[in-house]
Amino acid sequence: MTTLMDRPASASGEASSKRPLIERLNIFTALGLGAVSAIVVWQLALKYLPQNADTAFFFNREDKISLLSLIAWFVGFMVGIGALIGPFRWLMGKDLSHEENMFLAGKDQGVKRYFRYTTDHKVVGIQYVVITIIIFFVAGVLAMLIRTNLGKAGGGWIQPQTYNAIVGWHGIMMIVATIIMVTGPFGNFIMPIMIGARDMAFPRLNALSFWLIVAAIPPVFISFFTGGITTGWTAYNPLASQAGLGMNGYIAFICIFAISTMVSGANITTTVVKMRAKGMTWNRTPIFIYGVVASVALALPAFPVFFLSQIMSGLDRAFATSFYNSAAGGSGWLYENLFWIMGHPEVYVILIPAVAALMEMAPVFTRRPLFSFNLAILGIAGISGLSILVWAHHMYISGWAPLLNAPFMLTTELISIPTGMLFLVLVGTLWRGRVWMTMPLMSIYALLWNFMIGGITGIYLSDVPADSFLHGSMYVTAHFHYTLMGAGLTGALASLVYWFPKMTGRMFDTRLSWISFWLVQIGFNVAFIGMFMVGLAGQPRRVEAYAEIFSRGNMVTTMGAYTIMAGMLVLLHGVISSWRSGVPAPMNPWQAKTLEWTVPNPIPLENFAVLPVVTSDPYGYGKVQQ
Amino acid sequence: MSVETHTGANPHHEHPDVVGSRNRLGVILLLVADVAMALSVLFVYFYLRQQNVNNMWLPLATADTPAVHPISTRGTWIVTALAALGLLSHFYGLKGARAKAQSQLTLGATFAMAFSAAALVYQFSQIGNAPFTTTSGAYASTYFLIAGLNTLHLVLTLFISIGNWNRSRLGLYVSDHWHVDIVNIWWIWMTVSSALGAFALSFT
Amino acid sequence: MAIEVSTPENSQAPSAKWWKKADVKQTLLLWIILTPIIGYVGSEVQVRSMGAPASEVMASVKSLMRIFTWAVSPVAALVAAMALTTLMSKRHYGDMPPEDADHQIRNSPRASATWLVVSTLLCLFALIAGLVVQQKDSKSILDAKAMNINVTGQQWIWNFDYPGKGVRSEVLYLPVDKPVIFHITSKDVNHSFWIVQMGIKMDANPGYITEAAVTPNKIGVFDIRCAELCGLLHAYMQTKVHVVSQADYDAWLADRAALEGAA
Repeated sequence: MTTLMDRPASASGEASSKRPLIERLNIFTALGLGAVSAIVVWQLALKYLPQNADTAFFFNREDKISLLSLIAWFVGFMVGIGALIGPFRWLMGKDLSHEENMFLAGKDQGVKRYFRYTTDHKVVGIQYVVITIIIFFVAGVLAMLIRTNLGKAGGGWIQPQTYNAIVGWHGIMMIVATIIMVTGPFGNFIMPIMIGARDMAFPRLNALSFWLIVAAIPPVFISFFTGGITTGWTAYNPLASQAGLGMNGYIAFICIFAISTMVSGANITTTVVKMRAKGMTWNRTPIFIYGVVASVALALPAFPVFFLSQIMSGLDRAFATSFYNSAAGGSGWLYENLFWIMGHPEVYVILIPAVAALMEMAPVFTRRPLFSFNLAILGIAGISGLSILVWAHHMYISGWAPLLNAPFMLTTELISIPTGMLFLVLVGTLWRGRVWMTMPLMSIYALLWNFMIGGITGIYLSDVPADSFLHGSMYVTAHFHYTLMGAGLTGALASLVYWFPKMTGRMFDTRLSWISFWLVQIGFNVAFIGMFMVGLAGQPRRVEAYAEIFSRGNMVTTMGAYTIMAGMLVLLHGVISSWRSGVPAPMNPWQAKTLEWTVPNPIPLENFAVLPVVTSDPYGYGKVQQ
Repeated sequence: MSVETHTGANPHHEHPDVVGSRNRLGVILLLVADVAMALSVLFVYFYLRQQNVNNMWLPLATADTPAVHPISTRGTWIVTALAALGLLSHFYGLKGARAKAQSQLTLGATFAMAFSAAALVYQFSQIGNAPFTTTSGAYASTYFLIAGLNTLHLVLTLFISIGNWNRSRLGLYVSDHWHVDIVNIWWIWMTVSSALGAFALSFT
Repeated sequence: MAIEVSTPENSQAPSAKWWKKADVKQTLLLWIILTPIIGYVGSEVQVRSMGAPASEVMASVKSLMRIFTWAVSPVAALVAAMALTTLMSKRHYGDMPPEDADHQIRNSPRASATWLVVSTLLCLFALIAGLVVQQKDSKSILDAKAMNINVTGQQWIWNFDYPGKGVRSEVLYLPVDKPVIFHITSKDVNHSFWIVQMGIKMDANPGYITEAAVTPNKIGVFDIRCAELCGLLHAYMQTKVHVVSQADYDAWLADRAALEGAA
C-alpha cells in the first residue's frame, strides 16, 4: 500500500544536521544487507531446522533452507535499498517532506542517483536501459554456447546437465529481457514526457519496480551454480519438482519479477489515464502510449497467475504438498494451464509495445500522417483482448481436454485479424511517404518481413493437426524467435536508436547502427530459417544431441547465430562510444511532433517548466492537398 | 503536435481530489492483479477437486496414515465474519471522516484494527489445528493455499489498519480523507476474497 | 546533403483513377510476380523438409501446410509488393529530414474494409480446413477393429505393452494398414510420444492416460522421439517403430511371447 504515500508534500521538512537514513541507503547497503541476511538465515536454518525422518522427502529440508535464504536475501535487499521507508513513514504518520521527496528524485546528486532508490522517471529509464543490456548480454552469450554445442551432430562438448541448465537460463533471461526491453527503458523515460507529465503517477513505485528486478537477478545467477534451471524456461512440473536446488532460484526470480511487472503495470496505466497533458484527448494520444499501456495492463491479470504457479511449485518442493504430484492427487495439467494463462498474454506483452514504437516512428521517417490511427488502436485492443483466451493452444497435444481444441483453435486463428490490422497500419504509413533511410525506418521493413514469417508459421502451429506434428520441435523455437526477436527485438533496437538523442543528449553513430542492423537481420534470418528446416525434418526442441540428418541445418543456424552476436556486439560498441563521445544532439533531431522532443537536452528534473497544452494529434505531417 | 504554453498553478500543490483519484486508480489496478491471483487459487481448488487424480483428493485410510477429513467450514466462515465486522467498523469510521467527526473516525479505525487482529489470530489457530498436514493429498494442499492467501491478506490488512488508526489518531485526515476511502476499497475486497475462499471450501 | 530520389509520377493529378497511378501499377505487377513465388517456395521448402509420410495423418498434415501457404501467399505478396514499391520510390538520405510528403491521407475506409474482410475469410478458411482434417484424424480413435497398445514413458525410454499378448518391448512393431490406438502414460515426468513420419504426437502425463490413433500405411523403419523436455537424457529418449506385414508381425509377436514366457 505504498501508493497511499503520495500525499502533496508540505513545505516544512525537519532539517537535521546528521545525514538522515534516507540519504545513506544505496545499492551497496542493499547488496550488503541482502547478503548478510541470506547468510545468517542460511546458517540458522542449517542449525535449527529439524532433519526429516522420512527419506521420501529427502530434498525438502534443503529446499526449505534454500528458499528461506532467498526470501531473506530479498527482504534484506529491499530494506537495504530503502524500499520500506515510505510504507513505514506512512504507518507512523510522518509523511515524506518536500525536501525528502526532492532528494529521492535525485536532485543535485550527479551520477550517485543511479545507484539509489531514485524516483525520477528519467533515472529509472536509464537504469532499465543498463539492466536490459546486461541481461541481454548474459543471455546472448548463453545462446552462443547453445549454438556452439549444436554445431555438430551427436552430442557436443557440453555435458547434458549443464546444457539443459544453459537452455533454461537462456530462455528465462531472454523472456525477462524482452518483457522489459521497451516498457522499461522507453516506457519509463519517454512515456511521461510524451504525455506531458512531470513524473510518473507513483514515483516511488517506479523505483520499486526497477529495484525488484535487481533483487531478482542474483537468485537466478546463484541457481546456475546450484544445479541450474534444467527444465527449460517453462519449468513444467513434475519435472521441476525433480530438479535440483537451482530450481528454487528460478522460483524466487519469477515471484520477484512478477511483483515488479504488476507494480509497474499499475503505475504506468495510472500515469497514462490520469496525467496526460491538458488537451491530450484519447484521439490525440500517441500510438506508442497505447502500446505501452496495453502491454503493462495485460501483465496485470497475467503475472499473478505465474506468481501463484511458482509459489505452488515451491510448496511442492519445500513442504511436499501435492499440487503437481500425481501420486498424491496433483496434476501436471494444472501447472500447464496456470503457466500458459500467463504465458500467452506474455508474448503480446513483449510484442505490442515494440510494434507500437515502430508505428510511432513510421510517420516521422515517412513525413506523412499515421495511416488509420483507429485501426491501430483496434488492432492493439483486439490482440490484448483475444490473447487471454488462447492459452490452451500450447496444450493441444497434452491431452488435457481434446474437446476444447477446436474452440482454442478458433480464438487463436482470430488473433490473425487484429494482427493483420497492425500490418495494414505500418504498410499504409509507408505507402506514398518519403522514405528517410535511417536504421529505425529500415527496422519497420525488417519487422514486416520477420513478423510476416513469424505470423504465418503461427497459423500452421495454431492448427491442431499440423501442431500434432510441429509441437515440441525446433519449428516452434524458430517461430517464437521470429516473433519475439525478429519483431520484438527489432522494434526495441529501433527505439534505442530513435530515442537515444533524447535519453543521452548525443546522436547514435549512424554507421554503427547500419552495420549492426544488417548483421543482426541477415544473421537472424539465416539462423532461424535453418531452424525451421530441422524442425520440419523432425528435430525436437531442447535436445543436446541430434541425428546426422539434421547436421546441415544446425550448422547453418550456428553460423547465423554467430553473425547475430557480432551485430549485437557492434551495437553495444555503438551504445558505449556514442554515449561517451557521440555528436551532441539537437533538441529535435528527427523533426518529430511528439512532446518528448519539445524539452531541452539535458532534460530538467521535472521535464516541463510550464506544462504543455495539446491542440492536435502528433501526426500532422504532409502538405495540404489542393 | 501543436503545443500552447500557459502558466498553470504550481505543480507541487495539486488538489487533494486529483491526488486521491490517482491513488484510487492505482490501488484498483493493483487489486486487479490480486483478484486474478484469488481467482486462480479458486481455479486450482476446483480443478484438482474435479480431477481427483488417483483418488487422492481426500485420501482414504492406509496402513500408515488415517483417512483425511475436510476441515469444518464453520471456522472459515468465522474468519470471513470477523473480516466483515472489520469492514463495517472501517466504514463507520469513514462516515465519520466524511462528516468531519474525528472521534467517530478514530473509533471506527480502532475497531477495524481490533477485528483484523482477531481475524488473523483466528486464521492462525485454524491453520495450526488443521486435522491434516501438507502431505495429506490434494484437498489438504489447496486448503493451505486458500488459508495462506487469506493470511497474507490479513497481515496486509493489519498493517494498513494500524496505519489508518495511527493517522486518524494524529488528525492527518482532518482536511482530506481519501486515504480512508481507499482503505475502505481494500477492506471490501479483503472481505469478498475471504468469503470466496470460505465458499470454495464448502465444496469438499 | 539531402538526395531526393523522386519519380515524375509524384505530380500526378489526384483526380486520376487510383489503379492508373504508377506506384499502384508497380505494386500490382510485383504482387502478381511475388504471389506464385512465395506460394511455391514457401510450400515446397516446407513440405520437402518434412520427408515422406508413413500414414494418412502425415499426408494430410503435409497437404494442410501446402494449402495454408498458398492461401496466405497473396497477402504476404501484397505486403511485400507495397513495401518494395515504397522502398524503390522516394528514398531520402542524410541527417536532415526530407520535406513532407505531398498528401495528408490519414485513412482509407475502402482499403481497411477490404483488408478486414479478406483476413476474416482467410481466418475462417484456416479454421475450417483444420477442423476437417482434425475430424478425419479423430475418427480412427473410435475404430472398433483397431488394436490397442499401451505406451509408457519413463526417464529415458519408451515401453510398449501389447495387452492380452503378454509382450513388452522397447521397440515398437506394428502391422501395416491396421489402425492402432495408443494409450499413453508416464511413470515420472511429462514426455511426449512422437512418431515423426506418421505425424502423431501425444503427451505422456503421470497420473493420466491419453490416447492417440494412427494407421501406418507404409512398411519401413521410422523414428519415435520424445518431444517434451524430460530431464538429463531427453535428447537420447528415442526408439524405432518397425512397420511390417501382418505375417511378419505375427511371427515377431509369437517370438517375443515365447521369449518372455521362458524368462
